Amino acid sequence: MGVSQYNQNMDTDAILLSLKLALWTLALILPFGIWAAHSLIKLGKSRPWIEAALALPLVLPPTVLGYYLLVGLGGKEFLGIPLVFSFTGILIASLIVNLPFAIQPIQRAFESINPEIREAAQVSGLSNWQIFRLIELPLAWRGITSAAVLTFAHTLGEFGVILMVGGAIPGETKTVSIAIYDKVQSFDTAGAGALSLLLLGISLVAIALSYGVFGRNPRTQGMRSN
Amino acid sequence: MLKVRAAQTHPNPLQINLECGPGELHALVGPSGSGKTTVLRTIAGLSNPYSGKIECNEEVWFSADELSATKIILPPAERSCGFLFQQYALFPHLSALENVCIPLHNSELSVGDRKNIAKQWLVRMGIGELGDRMPHQLSGGQQQRVALARALTRQPKVLLLDEPFSAIDAPTRQGLYKTLADLRKDLDIPILMVTHDLHEADLLADRITVIDQGMGLQTAVPQVLFQKPRNARVAELVGINNMFNGIFNSGKLSWDNSNQIFDVIDKGKIPPNTPVAWVIPADGLSLQEQSSTTSILATVLQISTLGQIAVIQLQLNNGLHTITWQASAAEVKRLSLKVNSTANIEIDSSKIHIMPLRPINDPRRFSN
Repeated sequence: MGVSQYNQNMDTDAILLSLKLALWTLALILPFGIWAAHSLIKLGKSRPWIEAALALPLVLPPTVLGYYLLVGLGGKEFLGIPLVFSFTGILIASLIVNLPFAIQPIQRAFESINPEIREAAQVSGLSNWQIFRLIELPLAWRGITSAAVLTFAHTLGEFGVILMVGGAIPGETKTVSIAIYDKVQSFDTAGAGALSLLLLGISLVAIALSYGVFGRNPRTQGMRSN
Repeated sequence: MLKVRAAQTHPNPLQINLECGPGELHALVGPSGSGKTTVLRTIAGLSNPYSGKIECNEEVWFSADELSATKIILPPAERSCGFLFQQYALFPHLSALENVCIPLHNSELSVGDRKNIAKQWLVRMGIGELGDRMPHQLSGGQQQRVALARALTRQPKVLLLDEPFSAIDAPTRQGLYKTLADLRKDLDIPILMVTHDLHEADLLADRITVIDQGMGLQTAVPQVLFQKPRNARVAELVGINNMFNGIFNSGKLSWDNSNQIFDVIDKGKIPPNTPVAWVIPADGLSLQEQSSTTSILATVLQISTLGQIAVIQLQLNNGLHTITWQASAAEVKRLSLKVNSTANIEIDSSKIHIMPLRPINDPRRFSN
C-alpha cells in the first residue's frame, strides 16, 4: 500500500473529530482531575465510597454506561445544543468515562509525596495555595503527565459509549474508532487497517513518551515509595 | 524566650512544661516513641495539643484552656520556627539554592536579593559551591546543611532540631557540632534539639529535659541531671549504672539486702521508713588497696578496656549487688585488678543521691 493510497483510506474528518474530542476532554478533565485527586487525599471515612464511584467507569461495560447516559441526557439541551447525538453529548460521555484515568494517576502522585515535605513547606511560611503550586504540583508532574497520556489515548480509542450516546454522525460524532467499525462493516479493510494503524501508532508514541521521557524525571528522587 | 506548656491524652499522651531562653540550647532526650518529636511539632504548629499555651517573646502562638472557649492557634507559616527535620525533607525538585530561597518567597525582597541571602547562608554552612546541585546529588551531611540553611533563612525566632545528627557519619557529625556551636553564639534564639544520644546532649546542651511517655520528667543542666536524677525512671533513662534500692529513715539509708547503712542528707521531704532508689555518681566511688572500717569487700567480675578507659564490674560479697566503676587503665594496673581478684570499695555517702521510686507527679511516689 503506497502513501497516496494510505492517505485516501484515511477518514480525515474522523481523525480531526477524534483529536478535537481528545483535546477538549483533556482541557476540561485535567484541572478537575488535579483538584479531585488533591481533595481525595485529604478525605476521611467517605474516601473509599467516592473513590469507588469515580472508578465505576473502569468496570462498567461501556454499553451500560452509554445506556444510562442516553437515558439521562436524552431530550435535554445545554445552551440550545442537544446532549445526545451531538459533539457536546460525546464530550460529556468522554469526560465521565475518563474520570478514573485522569484522577487515579494524579492521586497516586500526590499520595507519594512525603508528608514531611509538605510540613517543611508549611514551616517555611508558604500558604496552602503556594504549597500546592510550588511544591505539590511540580512533584506530582509525572502523575499528571500519565493522566494526560492515558486520557488522550483512551479518548481516541473509546468506542462503546460514544456509539451509544453519539451514534455515528460524520463530522459530529463519528470518531476514528467508530469509523474503523463502519469501514469493517462495509468490507473496507484497507481503510480500517489504515485508521487502526494510526491509532496504534499514536497510542504507542503517547505511552512511550509517558514512560521514557517523564519516567526518568529527577523530580521523582526523594519521593516516598508505596 | 520560648515558653511551652502543653497537655493532651490522645492520640499520644503529652504533658510538658518547659522554657528555653535566647541563645540556650535545650535538649529533649528520651527513648524512642517517648514524644520528643511531638513536642517540636507542637511548637511548630504541625500538631496542636488539647490544652496549653505556647508563647515566644510574648507572642502567643497557641492558647487553649479547658475552662475558656477562646482559642488561639497560629498556623505553622505564622510561627517563625526554623525546623530541621530528621530526614531533612528537602524539596526534591528544587536545587539547594532554590530550597534555601523558599522561606523568603513571601518577603518583599527582589528575586536577586533572595538569592543573595540564600547564597550567603549556604556559604555560612560551608557549602557555597553546591547551590546548583539537586538534593539527590548531595551527601547526607550536605543535605543536612542545606536543610539547616533553609531553616534559618527566614531568621526564625526559634530553631527546632529533630535528631539532627542521627543520620550522618561520625566525622561529618564533628563538623556539624562546630557549625551548631558557632550558630548558637551568633543567633541568640532559643534552640530545641531532640536527641536520643545522651552523650550528644551532655556535650552540646545547656539544659536537658528528659521525656518519657510524653511526660517531661526533669529539666536540669547536664551535670545535675546525671548526678541528681529526680527519680528512678530518670536515672534509668539517663543511663546511670549504679542505682540501687533502699529504705530511708531520718537521715539513714539502709541498702536493701545488705547490712550497709549510710548517713544521707535530704531536704526533709521523704517520710520515715520510705523505700527509695539511690544512686552514687562516679566521683563518689573509689577503690582502695587496703580495707578499712567503711570499705565494702567485692570481687571483680569483669574488666572491659576501651582505649585508656576501663569499665570494671564488681560484685559485692553478698552476691546480690553489682557496682560499675570506671577508671583509667593506669589505675587498674596500679590496683592490680584482675578478674576474680578482691577489691575494697569506698562509697562517699555525701555523694549519694536518693529519690522516689516513682515520678514526681505520681501521688504514690512515697507510699509503700
